[in-house]
Amino acid sequence: MKLNTSDPAAQPEQILYTRCTIDLNTGRQTIEEIPCRNLEDVLGGFGRSFQDLAERQIATAYCAENPLIINTGLLTGSTAMTAMRTYFSSYSPIKGSQKGLPAAMWSAGSGKFGAKLKWTGLDELVLENCSEQPVYILIRETDQGPQLTLKPAEHLLGLGTHDKIMALYKEYPQAHFAAIGQAGENWQNNYMGAVALSTENQLKSGEDKCRFAGRGGMGSIMGHKNVLALVADSPDKIKPVSDAVKKVNLNVIKGGGAARLQPLSRGGGGGTWAAYDVLQAFHAVPVNNFRPQGNDLPEKLFRVNVEKDYVIESQACYRCGITCHNNVSEKNADGSRGEFLAKFDYEPLNLLGTNIGIHDAGQAARLIQLGDNYGMDAISLGVTISYLLSYNERHAEAPLLNGATFGDYAKIRQLVIEAGEGRLPEIGCGSMRLSHQVGEPGYAYHVKGLEIAAYQPESNPGYAWAIAGGHMSMGTYGLLAREGKTDVEFWVKAITEDKLQIVGFDMIGLCKFFDINNGIGTQMVVDCLKSEMELDVSAADLKKAVHRAFLRGLALELRQGYEKSEFALPVEVFEQPNDNIQLPKITSSEFVRSLEQQVWQIFEQQMAEMLD
Amino acid sequence: MIITVKLIGVFRIDRFKEQRQPLAEGSCVADIVDSLELSRRLLGIMLINGVHATESELLNDGDCLTLMPVLEGG
Repeated sequence: MKLNTSDPAAQPEQILYTRCTIDLNTGRQTIEEIPCRNLEDVLGGFGRSFQDLAERQIATAYCAENPLIINTGLLTGSTAMTAMRTYFSSYSPIKGSQKGLPAAMWSAGSGKFGAKLKWTGLDELVLENCSEQPVYILIRETDQGPQLTLKPAEHLLGLGTHDKIMALYKEYPQAHFAAIGQAGENWQNNYMGAVALSTENQLKSGEDKCRFAGRGGMGSIMGHKNVLALVADSPDKIKPVSDAVKKVNLNVIKGGGAARLQPLSRGGGGGTWAAYDVLQAFHAVPVNNFRPQGNDLPEKLFRVNVEKDYVIESQACYRCGITCHNNVSEKNADGSRGEFLAKFDYEPLNLLGTNIGIHDAGQAARLIQLGDNYGMDAISLGVTISYLLSYNERHAEAPLLNGATFGDYAKIRQLVIEAGEGRLPEIGCGSMRLSHQVGEPGYAYHVKGLEIAAYQPESNPGYAWAIAGGHMSMGTYGLLAREGKTDVEFWVKAITEDKLQIVGFDMIGLCKFFDINNGIGTQMVVDCLKSEMELDVSAADLKKAVHRAFLRGLALELRQGYEKSEFALPVEVFEQPNDNIQLPKITSSEFVRSLEQQVWQIFEQQMAEMLD
Repeated sequence: MIITVKLIGVFRIDRFKEQRQPLAEGSCVADIVDSLELSRRLLGIMLINGVHATESELLNDGDCLTLMPVLEGG
C-alpha cells in the first residue's frame, strides 16, 4: 500500500493499493496502483472485494466473468497479534438464492500465506477467466515490485491440500502457500471446496496443520479457474514491535475476550472446544442434524473425556499468543504423542462428530482430517451429511446413497471420500440442493443456501441476516446462552448495530479472536494503525466503515434475487419445536414477525440512505 | 440456608461438578464466585434456578446456582 495521507477516512484516494489482474485464458497480467474509493477499500478484505463484485452481473458462479479476488487486510503481515488473514471473494457456487443466482461470498483464513503475500508487495490478486491447463501462480517480490508467473501444475493434480503444499514447499522453501484439494479440482460436483493456507507449524513438522478459508466454495471457484495453488515467495518482513503495539498485543492476550480461548495451562478456557460444555448445560449442542435429545451423549466429546485417550496440545498461529488450537494426536502406550490427527475446534468437531452421531473422538478426528485433506468446508460437509442421515432415518425403507445412518462411521467416511473426489454431487453440492432434490427442505440446516454453524438456530435469529455464514458474519451466535434475553428490542439492536461489527475482522486482516466482543472499532485497532502506519483513524470511523460494508453485502444479496422469505431459519425450528433445548424461547411467530419487521425497517432505511 | 452450586467446564477442574453449600443469609452470587476463587476472566454465564442472573443477585434457600465459563465459538 502507498500511504500519501495520514487521514484515510477523509482522503481515501490518497492511499493506493497494488493490484494484479491476471487473465488466465491469455496469461496477460496487469499490475496497477489503485486509489481507494473509501475507508472500506483502505481496510481491505471483503470491504473492498464486495464493491468490485457488485460491479458485475453474474448469473452463475462457474462462468469466466466471475472473478476470484484474493486480498489481504490493512494490518495483515503487521506486528499486531493475529494479523495473518487472507480473504478469498467471489460469487459462490454453494450460496445462492432460490431464483438460482449465486450470492457474493468471501472466506477468510489464517496461516502465514497472507503475510507472505503482503510482503511480496501485492495487496490484491484478481483472477479472470479460466486457464486451459492446470497452473499454480508464483508471486515473488523483486526490486521492481511483485512479479507473478503462471506455472504448470500437472504434478499437483490429484493431491490433497497438505500434499500439494508440501510438494511446493520442496521447491520454494522460503514461501507460503494457498492450495485446493481434490474437492476444488472436482468443482463440477463439489461446491464446498476450501482453500488451505500453510502454517509454519505444518511446514516444519510435515504434519497436516493447515488453516482454511473454508466457507462458500472459494476452493471450487479456484478449481474452476484451474488454479491449484498460489505461492507467495518473500523474505519475512516483521518489524520490531513498537511499545504501542506491544501494549495492544498484551491486552489481546490478557485482557480481551481472547483470554478465554487460551490454553487451560495459562488459566484460559481451552479454546473454542469449550463451547461443548457450556452449550450442553442447556442441551443445546447440535445432535443428529440439530435435534438435541436432552441426554448426555455430547459429553463423550468433552475435552475431559477425550484427553484420557488422546494427546492434546495447545498451539498457535505464527506469532500469535492466543494459542487457541487444540491439536489432537494419538496417544502411544507410554503416554507420548503419536500420529497427529486433527485440530479440534468447536465447529468441525460438532458437525463431523456429535451432529452426525459420531461420539468417538478418534473417529471424529479422522473425519475432520479427511475433509481437510480433500479441501472441503467442514461446516457445509458436516451439515449436508447430517441432512442425508436425517433423511435416511425418516426413510429407512428407501434410504439415499449408501444408506448411511447416524453414527455409522464406515459409511459416513465413504461419503466424505466420494464427495471429496467429486463422485458424490448429492453431498458435494450442499444441503439446499439435496433437500430440494428429494423434496424435503424443512430440515435442511442452511440459511440462504449456506449451511449453518454448530449453534442451534433456535438460539440465533441473527443467522437470517448473516451475509457470509452464520458465525463469521453475525456475532449473535451464543448470545441467547450468554445473556438469556428474550425481548425483541435487544435482538434488533444486536443484529443491526453491535453484532454485525464482527465482519470488520474480515476487512482489516485480524482474526476475530483479537477482540471478538467489540469488533475493530476500538482504541486497540486505532493504536495499531497509528503505530504501524502513521494513520489517524477514529474508532467511530472504523465502525461506520464496517457498517457500510455490511450493508453493501446485504444489498448485494437482495440484488442476487433473495426474497425476504429466504432470510429465515430452517422450517423445522418452528414446525417441530424441540423442548429438549433448555434455553429461553425466542422462536414464537410473534417474536419472529416483530424482529423481521423491525430489522428490515432499519436495514432498508440505511441501505436507501447509503445507496443514495 | 443451603444452596446447590453446579459448575460447568473448566470450573470443575480441582473443584466439583455439583455441591450443596451452606450460605449466610443475604449472600449473593459474587460471594460464591469469590469463595470458589473462580476466574472472572472466564466467568461468563450465571443461572439461578435456570434463569440468567448477575453477580449482585441475592441467593435464597434452596436455590440452584450454575456457574459457567463464557461461551466463545468459531
